[in-house]
Amino acid sequence: MLTFDTIAQVLWTSISTSSYLVLFAVAFALVLKVNRIFNFAQAALMTVAFYAANAVVSLAGLSGVLGFVAALGSAALASAALEIFGFRSLRRRNASQMFLFIFTLIVSELVAYLAMLIFGTWPTTIFPSLFWPVSLVGNIAISAWDLPAVGGMLGSLALLFACLRYSQPGRFMIAVADNPDLAELYGIEKNRIYLAAMIVAGLLIGVGMFLYGSRAQVQPTTSIELMLFAIAATIIGGIGNVWGAATTAIVLGIVQNGSVLLIPSEWQGFLLYIFLFLAIVFFPSGVKLPERKRGLARNVASVDLDTRQSTPANTVNPASATED
Amino acid sequence: MTQTSPFKHGAALLVGAAAVVLTAATLAHAQETLRFGMAMPLSGAQATYGQDQVKAAEWGLAAINEKGGVSGKKLEMILLDTRADPQSGIQAANRLASVEKVPVFVSAWSAVVKAIAPISNDNKVVQLSVGANSADIAKLGEYTYTTFPLADVDITAVANYAAKEMGKKRAAVIYINNETGTVAAQIYRDVFTKGGGQVAAYEAYDPKASDWTGPLLKIRAAQPDIIHIQGLVADTPQVIAQMRQLGLQQPISSYSAVYNPKLIEQLGKAAEGVIATSLAPGVTDSPEVAAYVERWKKEVGREPNGLPYTQYLYDAPYIVAAVYTSLGNKKLPLTGENFRNEMLAIRTFDLPLTGKLTINDDHTVAKPVYLMEVKAGKWVQKAVVD
Repeated sequence: MLTFDTIAQVLWTSISTSSYLVLFAVAFALVLKVNRIFNFAQAALMTVAFYAANAVVSLAGLSGVLGFVAALGSAALASAALEIFGFRSLRRRNASQMFLFIFTLIVSELVAYLAMLIFGTWPTTIFPSLFWPVSLVGNIAISAWDLPAVGGMLGSLALLFACLRYSQPGRFMIAVADNPDLAELYGIEKNRIYLAAMIVAGLLIGVGMFLYGSRAQVQPTTSIELMLFAIAATIIGGIGNVWGAATTAIVLGIVQNGSVLLIPSEWQGFLLYIFLFLAIVFFPSGVKLPERKRGLARNVASVDLDTRQSTPANTVNPASATED
Repeated sequence: MTQTSPFKHGAALLVGAAAVVLTAATLAHAQETLRFGMAMPLSGAQATYGQDQVKAAEWGLAAINEKGGVSGKKLEMILLDTRADPQSGIQAANRLASVEKVPVFVSAWSAVVKAIAPISNDNKVVQLSVGANSADIAKLGEYTYTTFPLADVDITAVANYAAKEMGKKRAAVIYINNETGTVAAQIYRDVFTKGGGQVAAYEAYDPKASDWTGPLLKIRAAQPDIIHIQGLVADTPQVIAQMRQLGLQQPISSYSAVYNPKLIEQLGKAAEGVIATSLAPGVTDSPEVAAYVERWKKEVGREPNGLPYTQYLYDAPYIVAAVYTSLGNKKLPLTGENFRNEMLAIRTFDLPLTGKLTINDDHTVAKPVYLMEVKAGKWVQKAVVD
């Protein structure tokens, strides 16, 4: 059973099907890092993105490219609306983090119900066909969906990396993530950065949901189920560590799929909860790899949700934070 | 001596006359109308299916009344919402039994049917489950009956057919790890083994899974002759797509949830050879069903959600009407107890959209199972298993 072909096939399909999960995890981790919100309403944004693409491609009969644009645009717009009319208004009223979290839960359920009323409960896809042609590389089956999905994921991550590292809004996001009050003292307008982070997350969600909906059937409640994976990857990868969440999403995908070769397949879903349990109990700050002085593993400013008022010892100059 | 005003006398007479007229009208209405209940999800997540099923029942009811009703009396349906939620179902059943005092009501959704059963038993009101398929429904007491074949019927038929008629010796079973999948997968395994075959791979998958490579590779290694999938409408097409992508070209069997035109649309050529079950005749088997589907397209603009289920709901008022007619002929009062006894005495009903139905003493029903196969991009009938 454990032949090279089998292991290689599991590895490849795990990586390709992790593509959208990585994007969901990164979007969740980014909002948690910058906006400091456990944004469960991400499920609502995912639902909006999917049904926008579905309406354009499947219902209106327009091209997939327009469907992709619809997914991106609708998710970004819905993200912005959520920030402006929801989170910003609650922040103004000094709402607690628990209250914000409850608000996001309500939004996710509200949108799921709305989608049920508008689109019904029957599972549907963006494209009429779920079947993607397959090419054999050696004995490894690679579908026509796999390469664009992996490419889309890598491209999105590269753009995010470039945005956070080289663009001014991206560097400001890191600064606000590190210490929002100090960042404001340095002239960074917090609200604009929160909005920018939400829009970036919305775009990532748009790409992820387009990939997911072009391969799998979606119902109004599907996004809520997908959220657990994003939350698990964010917690295990280290809260506030965007790249940790991305890496964890891939590793979790491979472990979950690969585990079936060694243990009964009904244990597959249970594994996620075991990892989540162990991570929360033994690694509450996430599983951290040894730090490197250069490259991607630099010490990124982390978020401590319990201490919103940072002590002078852990405050940093926003200018230096932009190096992270 | 006080003198009563003639005006007061007149008013009292008028009120009295009005009361007599109203009472007479109410009694006349009660005499002319025979009522039964219906508790279905009209709101909530399952409303898409519930509303279509209710519409089908209303069409059935209207057809009966157009043809003169029950011995000249109009049949009336008291409709209540359950939201497919047991608690709401209990409230609806209580109202039907205690307030509306109907002798029989129709319900659906396994969890609701199970929750309602004690109310039916306590009040001696017959609950006709139409569409729920949990095997437990046969064991819910003296006043709950099903008109819909329970879960074991179609799985038994498809497993027997694979082992005995198709001559398959090695089967693989892949199933969703929840109550939809586990019980039915066990039934398939037991029946296929009893039929002389061997289950070479038996793999579950997580209900939240979006990739099935691992279990499918295990199945590929087992080299089965046929693969049975017991999943949900949402994930089964994806499992089949991935199966074909991984080079598994064996015949695939599944159950009634898979039998819909969307599967072919979603899978294209990958759907070829997929065998599903249907518990009701399709458009090619019955001109009545073809006309019924056409009516949906004409009046609603689409086919109903869950076509076979709506067929059973269309037929439900016909069962009620047949029992009421028989009770009327015997001049027996319309009570739950009499309804139950008369229904079992009649036992076999010839229904317009689902054909012959026989209610067994063990609270199950005998119905043929239609095996459908995708051939040249269409569902065609492969066999009928009695």
